[in-house]
Amino acid sequence: MSDNDLARPMALNAIVNLTDETVEYLATPTEVLKKFIGGRGLNMYYLYKYLKPHADPLSPDNVLIIGTGLLTGTPAPNSGRHSVTCISPESGIIGDANIGGFFGPEMRFAGIDRLIILGRAARPVYLYLTEGRVEIRDASAYWGLTCNRTQQQLKYDLGTDVEIECIGPAGENMVRYAAVMSGVKNAAGRCGTGAVMGSKNLKALVARGTYGLPIADPRGLLDKYIELKNYMQKSKVTQILGRVGTPLLYDVSNYLGAIRTHNSQQTVFFDTLNAEEVHKYVDKMLSCYGCVIHCRHRNKLGGEGPEYTTEVMLGANIGIADTYQMIALNNLVNDLGLDVSSTGTYLGWAIELFEKGYLTEDAVGYALQFGDYEMMRRLIEDIAHRKGFGNILAEGSQLVNQYGPQTADFLIAVKGLPQSDPHDVRYIKAFALGIATSSRGADHLRSRPTLEILDLPPAVTEKIYGAPVDPNPMSYTSKGRVVYFSDNIYAVVDCMGICKFACHGFNSPRNLDYDHFSALTKLATGLEFSKPDLEQVGCRVVDLERLINYRVKGIDRKDDTLPARYFDEPMPSARAKGSFIDRRGFDQMLDDYYLLRGWDHDGRLTPARVQELENLTTL
Amino acid sequence: MPQKQIYARPALCTGCRICANACSVYHHGVANPRLGAINIRQNLFERYEFQELCRHCENPPCVNACMVGCITKDDKTGLVLHDRKRCVGCWMCVMACPYGAVKRDVLNKVAIKCDQCRDRDRPVCVEVCPTGALVLDLREDVPQEPFFTEPTIAD
Repeated sequence: MSDNDLARPMALNAIVNLTDETVEYLATPTEVLKKFIGGRGLNMYYLYKYLKPHADPLSPDNVLIIGTGLLTGTPAPNSGRHSVTCISPESGIIGDANIGGFFGPEMRFAGIDRLIILGRAARPVYLYLTEGRVEIRDASAYWGLTCNRTQQQLKYDLGTDVEIECIGPAGENMVRYAAVMSGVKNAAGRCGTGAVMGSKNLKALVARGTYGLPIADPRGLLDKYIELKNYMQKSKVTQILGRVGTPLLYDVSNYLGAIRTHNSQQTVFFDTLNAEEVHKYVDKMLSCYGCVIHCRHRNKLGGEGPEYTTEVMLGANIGIADTYQMIALNNLVNDLGLDVSSTGTYLGWAIELFEKGYLTEDAVGYALQFGDYEMMRRLIEDIAHRKGFGNILAEGSQLVNQYGPQTADFLIAVKGLPQSDPHDVRYIKAFALGIATSSRGADHLRSRPTLEILDLPPAVTEKIYGAPVDPNPMSYTSKGRVVYFSDNIYAVVDCMGICKFACHGFNSPRNLDYDHFSALTKLATGLEFSKPDLEQVGCRVVDLERLINYRVKGIDRKDDTLPARYFDEPMPSARAKGSFIDRRGFDQMLDDYYLLRGWDHDGRLTPARVQELENLTTL
Repeated sequence: MPQKQIYARPALCTGCRICANACSVYHHGVANPRLGAINIRQNLFERYEFQELCRHCENPPCVNACMVGCITKDDKTGLVLHDRKRCVGCWMCVMACPYGAVKRDVLNKVAIKCDQCRDRDRPVCVEVCPTGALVLDLREDVPQEPFFTEPTIAD
């Protein structure tokens, strides 16, 4: 539209040093962009560049990177996402969280594609992004406010047309699993990104975007969008997601007997948390920027959600069966700015430790028991404000060092990060391999290989994965390939800034594939990526993450494991009854996976690959 | 000639802003919902989505307000059209529109105004809407309900 729009670089980074209160601007070179695309990929590239391997994650030495994807803000379907990356204070390895809502696109319209935040501000500050500039502004008026209040106050002060990303009390108090929040519910939830933001005295990021984002072929891209919208909306999963959101999965998992209940001691729970029950509390379905699915609920209790994850982590896992209470806890956790998955897992863990006698009433101050709603509310508030026993539980998985290694056996976590997905993975073996090898810890958004339970014909799965795979979810053969494929494409979709619900292989084969990404990037930016190029980017990002994890904490085969309970205790109920992970079968899956990745037997990168990545990061 | 108009069905609007973004991309070649002629005024905290779109009024206040005469009502099609080249960015139209349907391009200092995509069969916003919250319909087909109703006063 205006001449200055077209002159902007494709990826402009603002390097904000909060200690010195300086801002530098640096464009990402095109050859780097071709190798890492954007979003999670480029975030990892810059994380590696600014990495101080043995620094305390909550010290000014940690770097916090907020990076938009290459397609964020364009008319590509579901392109509202960006990644928040740092070294996690919860796990000590890569902390990377993906967030939707409206802030990412707004940041690009404000002319900044990535924020690289260094140091620590002397007093509470927020960053204001507009017209290609970043200002550091005083935030003392907002410090102490919850996420909703912070955003409402900022909108009152600056005008309603700004988009905001902020932390709540949990982030300010550096709870190790605090989230970065945007809107009512959108969260860069995992890995304690909010705690890192709090450690930098950074309360919020505010963007007002008046620039237009140049599109290489505007009309071609719009036609492509319409084609893809019609294509995606034919998928049954997409249609149901748009109607009831992720709670649709609760029924299915419960029927299978794979709902994490009472800290995974049980696997079935009440049907009061079924999608139709939850939907009685829903006013309307909403969407993030540019979304054709609209899976986010506006609930009748004043908040948004719940997701399937919340239903279980703040429902079944802590014994809350009442739909109203579960949604109320969901709203509370979002407003305080805590990660739902971690909070729910630690609550369940603490209660089991209490039941088993590792924690006493003297130490806690009150009794911990499953299903006690008032206690949960109080404890969640205490965690966020670091009061009483909440102050202890705010340390998360670091508590294992204090309570002894035997308590780790009851913690449903891998590499220090609690499992995000409420699905008990003892039944679906590929899922188990996925959370064991995920670069940020036990997380389903790195690979979630669940297509095989859809009973797809073998020809279809072979086409998806590039080789025949065993359709039996219980078998250990060929699962390495399933996880390898999913890992790669999810890395690419994170680089693009597109939602996983729109990604091929996440929960439907009828979604955006590599070919669609090639077409979209060509039309939106003019850059050409072939299918093999994109697959290579996926591999490269996963390898670079592995390298960073090795540098910071020596992550290798010994860490690619599962909670002890998954190996040692068979599932107790329903269809999945008797399932557990066989250690030999698991080792075989790991071998398969490492072989495909080109890693050695110990799960490390080859020296040649390390050299190749190092050469890239000096570009 | 029967006139068609874009109508919104607010209950179906999920607030994705694809309509506004597509409008911007189609008309200006750059993405940014702010530069689209339709605006989804959303407040997640106050919990509403309101679709601000041009009605192409019978007696358009924006035409009356425009000081340079760059907004005109086309007698043949009934469309209220805006000439960017002659617009001086005084924002009188923005102030005069009772529906909040004229927007500002603050960088280029010109108004942004719906032309119902004259060069297309259907306006791009209607075509891209993923939920069918926007429809293009004949004015005669729409039941004559008052837009604003009197507030109900309890006895």
